[in-house]
Amino acid sequence: MSESKITKSHTSLENKSALFAILTTVALLVGGLVEVLPPFLMSSDLFVKPIASVKPYSGLELAGRDLYIKEGCLNCHTQMIRPFKWETDRFDPTRAYGDAPYSKGGEYVYDRPFLWGSKRTGPDLWHESQIQPSAAWHKTHLINPREVSENSVMPGYPWLFENKVDADTVIGKMETLKNVFDVPYSDEDFAKAKEELADATEGDAMIAYLLKLGRDTANIEGQ
Amino acid sequence: MEHNKGNYSNGVVKGFLISAVVWGVVGMLVGLIIAFQLVFPSLNLDLPWTSFGRLRPLHTNAIIFGFALSIVFAGVYHSMQRVLRTRLFSDTLAKIHLILYNTIIVLAAVTLLLGYSQAKEYAELEWPIDILVAVMWVIFTINFFGTLAIRKEKQMFVAIWFFMATVIAVPILYIVNNLAIPTGLFSSYSIFSGSFDANVQWWYGHNAVAFVLTTPFLGIMYYYFPKHIKLPLYSHRLSIVHFWSLVFIYIWAGPHHLLWSPVPDWAQSLGTAFSIMLILPSWGGMLNGFLTLTQAKEKVQTDATLKFFLVAITFYGMSTFEGPMMSLKSVNGLSHFTDWTIGHVHAGALGWVGFMSIAMLYYLVPRVWHTKLYSEKFANWHFWLGTLGILLYVVSMWVSGITEGLLWRAVDSSTGELLYKSWNYITDQLWAMRLVRALGGTLYLTGMILMGYNLYKTVQLSPSRTKQA
Repeated sequence: MSESKITKSHTSLENKSALFAILTTVALLVGGLVEVLPPFLMSSDLFVKPIASVKPYSGLELAGRDLYIKEGCLNCHTQMIRPFKWETDRFDPTRAYGDAPYSKGGEYVYDRPFLWGSKRTGPDLWHESQIQPSAAWHKTHLINPREVSENSVMPGYPWLFENKVDADTVIGKMETLKNVFDVPYSDEDFAKAKEELADATEGDAMIAYLLKLGRDTANIEGQ
Repeated sequence: MEHNKGNYSNGVVKGFLISAVVWGVVGMLVGLIIAFQLVFPSLNLDLPWTSFGRLRPLHTNAIIFGFALSIVFAGVYHSMQRVLRTRLFSDTLAKIHLILYNTIIVLAAVTLLLGYSQAKEYAELEWPIDILVAVMWVIFTINFFGTLAIRKEKQMFVAIWFFMATVIAVPILYIVNNLAIPTGLFSSYSIFSGSFDANVQWWYGHNAVAFVLTTPFLGIMYYYFPKHIKLPLYSHRLSIVHFWSLVFIYIWAGPHHLLWSPVPDWAQSLGTAFSIMLILPSWGGMLNGFLTLTQAKEKVQTDATLKFFLVAITFYGMSTFEGPMMSLKSVNGLSHFTDWTIGHVHAGALGWVGFMSIAMLYYLVPRVWHTKLYSEKFANWHFWLGTLGILLYVVSMWVSGITEGLLWRAVDSSTGELLYKSWNYITDQLWAMRLVRALGGTLYLTGMILMGYNLYKTVQLSPSRTKQA
């Protein structure tokens, strides 16, 4: 190939490693900043519209959420319902979420980290409180999924009902969330958490969490 | 060391080559176990540390950070000394890098099995390990730029550009996405919440693919492929154009992982648009590889290493076309959350990253140990086992994913009711395809083990070894 002007001037750039590194950094940062910064600069209403009824996780629910992370449930379950009729029909069978029954940003403001998932080997769980409200069913299912759900490929989690939750750890986490991220936990919330967590198993926490999913936004007047 | 007679440090290269084979086999074995768990759930054994949810992050981390990164470090340390005509800036730093790196991977494996996780994909490792990773990367960066500073060849060969992009981009992505407030020694909460967190995570996740699994492997292709066929790179100009466009465009495409989500439409559209644009720089690299190969067509029939290079480049081209197609909102509506995504990832991981790594291993192990490959026949066997494995894997996941996506959305045309309300019914339909996938994985892993044996015997043929014995 003939040597073009571009190739020639680039060859001189290839001799200057520092300049090359700086230009590479600049090329990376343009798109990098455009993708990552605007959400934080935009008024929060534009990126995530708040929903008044959404409440923080209680102590027991928070413990359950951490277990959901620990056991890697998000590797197979999503928590994000897309705006397709066939998807909202499946994940809002009781029509509890009005005429826009898909996921909205405001529903996730207390989710650190987010748990939308990327793979739906099992069903979506974002509206689980409305789809399977029975705690007893969840207990049986978590211990041995195939007992209530024939041919399920989900692992069993029998140990969740043998291990106790450590209340102090959970309370400490609630304090961090309150102090660092301004999560509006009241003194009552802490008192309730102590009570709930006193003799709870990990399984109790997991079920409390599953039954929190979709509860705050279900069956709201005017939806 | 005696066998290090040249002016280049080879010890650290050997260390990373061994790490690559070990973590590669371990990571793929875990992958195979979880593939079978999806077909036979009793294999989860009802135990915490053998259940799918804990093993899957171990699989992805072992492959991306154990296997692929070992290959990258070996390739960078080996090739940069040669194209820059200088010894590494610091052998000591390189040695610390190797030890710290393997310590991190062991810590990662242990903590993931114990369930310590930040829950963000490919960023599961908790904050103390994240800090170790950052320290390791600083050491690598010092050695990389230090070596550039003392180079005797002024002109940086194209492979160096791609390595440099990785050295610079990875810490930016890794640090921002892992920002978290610790709540214990191995627990933390992300400083970002909900949609913000999703946006940052997939900006990171997508660019982990870009700067861990793409740019350094293009660097490896640019150095080892022409070296292997002993012919020059086809086009310098094409390298220039596709390097800068790739580095500029890739980083925009993250939100294509969040189509139809609560993340605002402008971000989603930006992700889609840049994903489509990404076809051009990606195919620029593929074409430069293919056109380089056209100079040595006749060798393809006999040379196993060359076959691996060729198929790796083919899968690079295929995956970088499939990816942008899956970034179109209409296609994504069908493919997202299904096995199709898993198939897409593995076309890239097994085909492009895996085969490029394997080609480099077959090229490099005999050279750094100053000997010949023990068995070309085994390498050929490995090629066919691997290729057949990938095909079974990818095709079964296409069928499974599209089946799944179609069954989710199937409605009765007169009533509009969902036709397949039972989730387990849908899962049942995918069973056979998921079994085929696990068999494909079995073939691929068998090839890897055969390679491990072949390379082990190769190292035993090393003259320094026989002298010692």
